[in-house]
Amino acid sequence: MATALQLTGIAKSFDGFKALSDAHFHARWGEVHALLGENGAGKSSLMNIAAGLYAPEAGQMWVDDNPVQLTGPRDAARHRIGMVHQHFKLVKPFTVAENIMLGNPLALGEGSHRRRLGQLEAQIRAKAQELGFDIDPRQRIEHLSIAEQQRVEILKVLLAGARILILDEPTAVLTDKEAERLLSTVHALAHSGAAVVLVTHKMADVKTYADRVTVMRGGCTVKTVDPKQVAMAELVQLTVGDSIAAPVRGRSPPGEARLRVRGVRTSEAGGRRALAGVDLTLHAGEIYGLAGVGGNGQSELAAALMGLDDQLFEGELVLEGFGDLARTSNAERRALQIAAIPADRYGIALAGALSVAENFGVGQVHDGRYGPTWRLNAKRMQLDARSAVAQFDVQGVRSLDQKAALLSGGNAQKLVLAREFGRVPRVVLAHSPSRGLDVRASADVHARLLAARDAGAAVLLISEDLDEVLALTDRVGVMARGRIVAEFEQPADRLSIGQAMVDHD
Amino acid sequence: MQASSAVLAANGSPASRGPLTSRRYALELRQQMAWPKQALILAISLAIGFGISAAILVAAGVPAGELLNEFVLHTLFDLQSLQAVLFQAAPMILVGLGATMAFRARFWNLGLEGQMIWGAIGATAISFLDIGPPALRLPLMLCMATALGLLWALAPALLKLRLGVNEIISSLMLNYIAGNFLLHLVYGAWKDPKDSFPYSPQFRSFERLPEWFGNTAPAAIALALVVTALAWWFVGISRAGLYLRFVDANPRMAHAVGVPVRRMILSAVLLSGALSGVAGFVVVAGQEGRLTQAFYAGYGVSGVLIAFLARNNPLAATVVALLVAALFVAGRNLQVFYQIPFSMVQLIQAIVVICVASSDFFIRHRIRAVVSQAG
Repeated sequence: MATALQLTGIAKSFDGFKALSDAHFHARWGEVHALLGENGAGKSSLMNIAAGLYAPEAGQMWVDDNPVQLTGPRDAARHRIGMVHQHFKLVKPFTVAENIMLGNPLALGEGSHRRRLGQLEAQIRAKAQELGFDIDPRQRIEHLSIAEQQRVEILKVLLAGARILILDEPTAVLTDKEAERLLSTVHALAHSGAAVVLVTHKMADVKTYADRVTVMRGGCTVKTVDPKQVAMAELVQLTVGDSIAAPVRGRSPPGEARLRVRGVRTSEAGGRRALAGVDLTLHAGEIYGLAGVGGNGQSELAAALMGLDDQLFEGELVLEGFGDLARTSNAERRALQIAAIPADRYGIALAGALSVAENFGVGQVHDGRYGPTWRLNAKRMQLDARSAVAQFDVQGVRSLDQKAALLSGGNAQKLVLAREFGRVPRVVLAHSPSRGLDVRASADVHARLLAARDAGAAVLLISEDLDEVLALTDRVGVMARGRIVAEFEQPADRLSIGQAMVDHD
Repeated sequence: MQASSAVLAANGSPASRGPLTSRRYALELRQQMAWPKQALILAISLAIGFGISAAILVAAGVPAGELLNEFVLHTLFDLQSLQAVLFQAAPMILVGLGATMAFRARFWNLGLEGQMIWGAIGATAISFLDIGPPALRLPLMLCMATALGLLWALAPALLKLRLGVNEIISSLMLNYIAGNFLLHLVYGAWKDPKDSFPYSPQFRSFERLPEWFGNTAPAAIALALVVTALAWWFVGISRAGLYLRFVDANPRMAHAVGVPVRRMILSAVLLSGALSGVAGFVVVAGQEGRLTQAFYAGYGVSGVLIAFLARNNPLAATVVALLVAALFVAGRNLQVFYQIPFSMVQLIQAIVVICVASSDFFIRHRIRAVVSQAG
C-alpha cells in the first residue's frame, strides 16, 4: 500500500518545554492507523503539525511521497488533510450547513449565498447518507448532541476534500454505543481508500478498529506494530514505559481519616455523567494520588472538591470534626484550612490583572488578618506578601504592585502555593500542580506537597502524569469514566496502574 | 517580561518587486505602562477631541477667537456660570459615582435614570404627604430617595443573579416604566392644583436644600463631595473594595478563593441605585424645588460616560463630572449666543468620548515599525 502521510524526525518545543523530540509516523492509504500514548506523550502535537497548525522545528513531512511544508490549516486542506479536534470548532448559533460553509468557502459554486447554501445542503445530505449519518443541514449546532456535532466536524473536513482524516480522541466524549458507531464508520471510510489517523489512549478501540498502531511516549515514537499481533499487556508496556521501582521514601503510618468523599456524582444532563459516584478517603499525613487519562472526570472532581463553580453534584464531602463540606462557602473552607491548587493557574488560581500582593492577600483577608471589613490593612498585606514571596522563592517580582499575569508559569504557581500554604493546611487539594512547569519549579512544588504531608496534612494530588503520581504519593487511585476503578498501595506496579487506566471498557 | 509578539500585522507598503526593504507595522500587547505615560496619552487624546470639536464649532459659525473665551473664561471665571456648572455638576457626580459602583462589579446598569426618577419620587412623596417634622423633613426625603433608588436597582440585579437576564436590557427598560409612572403622577394625583401644569406642588422652604451664598449649589456640591469620599472609602479602603477588584478582574477566581461574588455584585448594584436615587433627590430638592416631568433626561448617558472616562475611579469620576457639567453649561451659552443647536453639545461630548476610548488602544498596545528585507 502506498504512503499517505509520513513524518520523520519531528521536533517541537513550547516555551522551552520539548513536546516532541524525535517523532516518526507513517500512515498508508486504506488503513486506520492509531496513535497511542499517555497524556503529554506528544500525540496531539504531532498531529497538529500534520494538520498545519504548528510548524515543526526539525523534521520532514511527506504526503503521497511528496515532501511538503505546510503554511497553515488551509494549506493542509489543499493537501487533503483534515483534522477533527477534541474540542470542536463550531459556531453554535449557526446551522450545520453554515458551519461547513465557513470551513471551506472556496469549494463552493457560483451564485447567490442562498443558492450556494442550497447546493451545499444537498452535498451534505448526500455525504451524510453515504456515511450513514442522520444530519439535517439546517439544524443549528446548539441543538445537536455532542456525537452529532462530531459528525458535523467529520462532514466538514470530508466535504473540504480531505482524504487523510485525523481524529483527535474522538471517543473521549462519546458513550460506548456512539463510540462503536463512529469507529465502524471511520473503519469503513478507510477501507474505501482514505487514510484515518486515530489519536487515542484506549487500548480496546485500538485492538478492535486499528490496522496498525504507533505508540508514543515522552515526545518520541516508540514503535509501530500491528495491534492484532501483540498482546494487550505489551501495548500497555509500550505506552507507559518500563516499570521503574519507585524510590523508597521514609513514611510514617497514615493518621486518621480526614476527608471522606462519598458518592459524588454530577447530573446526567448533556450526555454521560462526568462523575458517576466517586468514593475516596484522604488520611492525615498521606498523599493520595489520583491517576487517570485526562477527561475521565478529574476536572469535575477537582471543581466539586475545591468548590470552583456553583456546579451541582450529589454526594458528601465529610471533613473530620466538621461535617459535610458540600454546602460550605469557599471562605469557610479556607477558614477550615483547606488549601486548593486548581489546574488552571491564570484562569482560576490567580487574577492576572491584579497585583502580586492582592493575589496573595485575598487568601487570608476573610478572617480579618488584613484589618476589619471597614479598613483594609494594605501595609500588613504588603509585608506578608513580601516575606511569602521570599520564602516561596517567587522570582520575577520587581514590585509587589506588579500584575500577577506578568509572572511566568512556575513563579505564578509558587505565588499560588505561597497563598494556599500561608496557613498550615489540614487538607491540600492539588490538580496538576506541576503541569507546564520546568524541572526545577516542579521539584519545588513537589517539595511543598511533601512538606505539607509531613506536617500532617491530608494531600490529594490529581495528576495525569503517572511519573509524578508514582514518585510522590503514598496511595494511588485510578480514575476512569467518572469513578475510581482501582486503588493501589505504594510501592505500586506501574504496569498494573497503566492497565487500570485504560482497561475500563 | 515583555509583551507577547505580534497580534496583528498591517502591511505598510504594497507588494514591491525585488528585494527591497519593506516596512511593516506590528502591534504588540503591552502588559504594563507607567502612569505618567498613560496620563500623557490621555491628555493627547483629550486635546485631539477638543481640537476636532473646536473645528466643528468654527465650521458651525462660532468665531475661532471666541472659543477660548466662551469655553474657558466665560464658563469658569464668571460667577454666574460657575454657579451653573456646580449646580449641574452635583447630580452628575452622583450618577457618575452610581455608574462607577455598578461597573466595578461588571454590571452594566443602564437604569440610572429610572433609579433617579424613583429617588425624586421618594423625596417628593415625603413632601407631598407631609411626613415628619420640618426639622427632619430634608433628611427623611434623602433617606426615602436613597431607598427607592436602591429598590429600583434591586429588580435588574435579582433578574440577573437569579435568572441570568441581561441587565443592559432589563435596567434600560425599567427606565421607561419609571418615566411613565412619573408622568402618571405629575399629570394625575400629584399635579400642582395652583396652575395645573404637569408638576408637583412647590416644596416648602424646609424641603429644599439650604441656600449658602445665596443659592443651593454649594450645599448640593457638598453633599456630592461627601458621597464621593464615601465611595472612595468603599472602593479604596474597605475590604469590599478588594473583593470588588477581584470580582471585576476574574469572577471565577474570586469565587474560588472565597470572595462572596454574588453578594458583592448585589451590593454594588444596590449602591449604584441608591446613589442615583440621591441624584434624583438633589435635582428635585436643589434645582427644581418640585417634581417635574423631564428633569432626568440625559443623566443616564452622562453617568455612563463619566464612569467610563474616569475608568471607574470615584475621585476621577468627580473631576470628570465637573468637566462634563462645564461642557454642558458652555454648550448652553453657545446655544444662547450663537444659535448653536444643543445637539452640537452632545456631538462634542461624543467626540471627546470616542477620542478617550481610542486612547485605551494605545495604552494597551505598542506599535512598532518592523523594517525587513522583502525577498
